[in-house]
Amino acid sequence: MDDDSQVVGIAEITVAQSPQRLMAYGLGSCVGVTLYDVKTKTGGMAHVMLPSSRLRPLATPLGKYADTALGVLAAEVEKAGGRREKLEAKIVGGANMFEGLPQNVAAPIGLRNVAAVRQKLGELGIPIVGEQVGGNRGRTMIFNLEDGRVEIRMLNQPAQYL
Amino acid sequence: MGQEAELFNDFQLDALKEIGNIGAGNAATALSQMVGRRVDMSVTQVQVLKTDRIAAFLGGMEQNVAAVHMPVYGEICGVALVFFPLERVGELCGMLVGKREDDPFRLSEMGQSAIKEMGSILTGAYLSALFRLMNLQMIHGVPGLAIDMAQAVLDTVLVELEQKEEVAIVIETQFLENDKKLTGSFFLLPETGSLRKLFNAFSKTIGLSGNG
Repeated sequence: MDDDSQVVGIAEITVAQSPQRLMAYGLGSCVGVTLYDVKTKTGGMAHVMLPSSRLRPLATPLGKYADTALGVLAAEVEKAGGRREKLEAKIVGGANMFEGLPQNVAAPIGLRNVAAVRQKLGELGIPIVGEQVGGNRGRTMIFNLEDGRVEIRMLNQPAQYL
Repeated sequence: MGQEAELFNDFQLDALKEIGNIGAGNAATALSQMVGRRVDMSVTQVQVLKTDRIAAFLGGMEQNVAAVHMPVYGEICGVALVFFPLERVGELCGMLVGKREDDPFRLSEMGQSAIKEMGSILTGAYLSALFRLMNLQMIHGVPGLAIDMAQAVLDTVLVELEQKEEVAIVIETQFLENDKKLTGSFFLLPETGSLRKLFNAFSKTIGLSGNG
C-alpha cells in the first residue's frame, strides 16, 4: 500500500479525490460501494455490513447499514465537490462464504446486503455502472480516484476491473 | 484494547492456557484414534485479541487461509473458527487421511471433509475443556470450510455476529506426528451478551482457585 491509499474499514465511510485510492480489504458478506463524479474526480467508499438499521436499538455507526450509509456517502461526496446528479456507483462483495452457515431467513446475508444497497441507490437515483457481487469468494476492492476504476482482487485469480 | 480484553490478567491467561492444554490433550486422543497413529498436540500460545488484530495475527488481511467455521450454542453463543495456513493444508490432509494433496484450491471431497473434521475435533476439545474448568456448557454446529483471504473470513463472521469489533479468545495448537509439525489456530468469538458471561466465569474460577 502506498501513501495515496487509504483503507476503508468495516462500517466506515471515506471520501477522497484524485490521485488518492481507497481500499476495502477482504470483503466477505459485506458490500463495498463506491460513488464517483468523473469530472471533478471526487468520490467515496462505504463498507456496508448489514442491510437495515430498522429495529436496531442503536443505528450507529451510520456506515454500518445500507439504508443509512449511502445517503451519508452521497452527501459527503457532494460536500467534497462531487456533483450529486452525476454520481455513479459500483458495488462489490456480498459473498456467501460458508455454505453451511445456518440461515434464519430466506436469503443469505450477503445477498440481502446487495439487495438493500441496490434499493437504496435506486431511491437516491444513483445508477450502478459496475458490479461484482454474490458467489462464495472474498474480494479486496481498490478504488482509483484518478479514473474511477475499481480493481478486484480474489485469492488465486488474476485481478479484475470494473 | 477494549475493557474486556484488559480484564484478562496474567492469572486468567494462565487459566486459559490450562484450558488449552486440557483441550489439546483431548484433541490429540481423538485425532490419534481417527488416524490410527499417535499424533501429539501442544498449545504454542494463548491470547485474547480484539477482532481487528486477528488478521495481523494470521499474517495479514490478504493472507491465504483454510478456515473452518462452526456456530457455537449454549451458555456462550457465538462462532468458533479454526485457521490453518493454506500452504500446509495439503500436508495436513496427508496426516489426516494418508493422502497428501497438491493443490489447496482444489481439495478433494475427502480432503475437505478431513480439514473440517480437524476443525471440529479441536473445537469440540476446547469447548469441553471450557466446560470442565469453567462449567460453561456449549456445543458446536456443523462445520463449513472456506479457502480464502483471512480478512474475508473475519468480515463474514463479524456480519454474522452483527459486530464491528469484538474480542476473541485464541488458542494456537501444534500437531506433531514423528518429525512433522503443523499448526492450527482456534478462535472463539462470543456474541456481545455472551462475552460478559465468559469473563465473569473466568473471574469466578480464578477467584475460587485462589493460589492454586
